[in-house]
Amino acid sequence: MAQAKNPKDGKDNFTRNLVIAVVIGVVLIMLVPTILSKQTDSSAAVPSSVSVEDGYGMVFNKELQDVPFIEIYEDFQCPACARFEAIVGEYVDDLINTKKAKVAYHPLSFLGPESQLAANAAGCAADEGKFLQFHKLLYANQPAENSGAWNSSYFTTLSLGLGISSKEYDKCVSNNEYKGWVLNVANEGAKRNINSTPTVFINGKEINRDTDYNSLGDFMLAVSKA
Amino acid sequence: MKEKFVTLQPWFGLVARLTLGGVLFVAGYLKVGTPDKSQMAVRAYEMLPISVANFLGLILPPIEIVIGALLMVGALTRVMAALGGFTMFVFIIAIAQAWARGLNIDCGCFGGGGAVAPGETKYLQEILRDIGLVFLAAYLIRYPLTKFSLDKNQNRKSSQEEVA
Repeated sequence: MAQAKNPKDGKDNFTRNLVIAVVIGVVLIMLVPTILSKQTDSSAAVPSSVSVEDGYGMVFNKELQDVPFIEIYEDFQCPACARFEAIVGEYVDDLINTKKAKVAYHPLSFLGPESQLAANAAGCAADEGKFLQFHKLLYANQPAENSGAWNSSYFTTLSLGLGISSKEYDKCVSNNEYKGWVLNVANEGAKRNINSTPTVFINGKEINRDTDYNSLGDFMLAVSKA
Repeated sequence: MKEKFVTLQPWFGLVARLTLGGVLFVAGYLKVGTPDKSQMAVRAYEMLPISVANFLGLILPPIEIVIGALLMVGALTRVMAALGGFTMFVFIIAIAQAWARGLNIDCGCFGGGGAVAPGETKYLQEILRDIGLVFLAAYLIRYPLTKFSLDKNQNRKSSQEEVA
């Protein structure tokens, strides 16, 4: 019996070993690094005006109490976000500048590596007090998704137009210094069930997807009702 | 007729194996580099608690890669076909419930995923494709002997008995 089984065992072993090797290989090469890279690092450096308790968002008018709280989840590479910015961007800036709303921006990075780099650069620009301007400029210069256009020298050149020329900024961009922060923003977004960008909450309630994202009038109405 | 099937059956098996395995492998490969997106795609089905959906979004692409790769080389064909078929079966249920509940999402099968505009859903095509793949899996479970597979030898005897 043992004899009859032997040749077959040989074949089984080869297949079995291959299966084990493939499984272990994929787990070690893909799964473990992915899971490790998705761990929130609460000690990661955050740009100025980031509020950890607001899901690591970039918060403006944090101190205001009796105003609508607008939370915007976006991805700098997402065309719908560029459209949304073009429609409501100026109005939201106005709300911030006239202190009529508390606003949190959450730059997500689910579209890929260049979203991550852009979010990092936006964090660096925040340290220079130019987040909102940089934000607008990014959308105005949005290239095709992950085409290689958005790299550190692109961002440092782009921000020259905003009068940012500090060495710290260039270093922050090229070293991807806020990588941890960008990851934490993404994790908080995932926990909050953000399934598309842009996603906007006013006082914790999502605005109407059929109307409020596409029309300034409807968006203003949603803000005024809050 | 029957004889002809016996000759052709391993070739059908090869096509089935490469199709099912190839689809799984490509689907996994396209998603494995963008975990945020993959997690979002799973959450968008609104079937699972958020934390479970996020975990599944992380582990699903590597699982698809493993099953797909092993199917393509033909290692443990029957087991992998069963796993691949089961995965497709679950996808069909997930897509069907999203459709029935009127969600507007992309299946996220090959990357992408998440909410889409109403009218941009492709539920029927997605379900038909997955049903086709389930049939391929069923064929491989019934006839695991296929051309150019690693476990060809060990299956030959039992497979041919089944056919006869």
